[in-house]
Amino acid sequence: MINELLLQFGQWMEAQQYSQMLVAGYYSYNWVEATHVLSLMMCIGTLFIIDFRMLGLIMPNVPATTIAARLHKPMIIGFVIMFFTGALLVYAKPVETIQSLWFRIKMILLVLAFINAWIFNARMKAADGSWDMDPVAPKTLRVGAIISLVLWCGVVAMGRYIPYDWVDCGRTDNPTILWAAGCVEQLRAL
Amino acid sequence: MLNSLWSRYTRTLSLVLVLLLAIVLELFEVRTSIYGNALPFFEWMRNSFWFGVIGTNYGSFYATVQAVHLLSMAVIGGTVLAADLRLLGVIFRDIPSETLTRGTHKCFRISLTVAIATGIFCAAGVADKVYYMEVFWIKMLVLISGSCFVFLFKQPLLNSRPHDEINPWTLRLLAVTSLLIWFTVAATGRWIGFS
Amino acid sequence: MNKSNKWDDKEIAATGTAVIILGGLILYWLLQMESTLELLELAYGSIKLFNNPLVF
Repeated sequence: MINELLLQFGQWMEAQQYSQMLVAGYYSYNWVEATHVLSLMMCIGTLFIIDFRMLGLIMPNVPATTIAARLHKPMIIGFVIMFFTGALLVYAKPVETIQSLWFRIKMILLVLAFINAWIFNARMKAADGSWDMDPVAPKTLRVGAIISLVLWCGVVAMGRYIPYDWVDCGRTDNPTILWAAGCVEQLRAL
Repeated sequence: MLNSLWSRYTRTLSLVLVLLLAIVLELFEVRTSIYGNALPFFEWMRNSFWFGVIGTNYGSFYATVQAVHLLSMAVIGGTVLAADLRLLGVIFRDIPSETLTRGTHKCFRISLTVAIATGIFCAAGVADKVYYMEVFWIKMLVLISGSCFVFLFKQPLLNSRPHDEINPWTLRLLAVTSLLIWFTVAATGRWIGFS
Repeated sequence: MNKSNKWDDKEIAATGTAVIILGGLILYWLLQMESTLELLELAYGSIKLFNNPLVF
């Protein structure tokens, strides 16, 4: 049911003129894609530095919350750029992306990363500042940092897999994969 | 006299000598001849089992290495932004820039090493194509000169004394150059994939 | 404070390399921009970044 709805949504986007313009323009798609990838350096790069500091791997002589607070802004700016360019990339190739298994896993990982970041922030605010100058953060925050690193590595890897066609609809007849990727027509034909 | 000048300005004079050497080599068309002779090496990379063959036959492995390449690029970006934006006075104004310069450098070195190692593997899988791409050679030029800039000039100066004893415009120039270098390396790298 | 004393070997060399590399990179990106604009003009007859090739 939800797969059908998503497919319809994708087909509706694909029929729009701007979606076709974006993908057929000389450089437009490449520029959006390059911006999406390059903002990794701003968003995930700064995020990883915060996580590394929590684990005591980098700058142990600087208070952990200071690093987290000062790098928050560039991280958010990078994320906003990534979000909008990412949305444009989906808009340019909607059906292909919506029916990509990797894209779906990526979205799930993103949601998990968000929940983790939210819990992490709450814990960091709740903890008193006594650990701030310690080379490593308390255990709960360290676990949060490791989960964040793993989830974002997964997000980047899934993002990299999206253009590959290993498990595209029509390349597999495994019903579980077809269902997970939302290949409505291929599932019906089975 | 000449000796004391050399010992006082070793770096500057070496830089001038290297630039002169580059001009002389260019005049004698050494670059063009190296380019012609490099083709067998790229073909070897493409056909050698541990580089090109694995890269082309195991797509999922190749894509995973690419993901590691991107992640190390992200960490490079993070460390460069933290250190250089501090030099420009944009962020971390309450932390001394010496602390950030020293603190991020190790992380930068490690991620650059990972990026280069994975990058060699990624390039080997398409070695027969990148050889003919101008943007690939631009990337290599910027990467090599940028690494020399960071490791031989920028870092030694920044580590040599407190930053308030260095001309503030020099600090800004170093920061902007470093930001533009790593942006260019990343951007040209992405463009290799489109070409 | 004697300012000229500050310009030691390391600072001159670092400034020199930075100027050369920065100049080269700015030149590179300007040339890229110019050739891209030319290409777009050639392709579409006018410079439109998000042109619709379906109508040209």
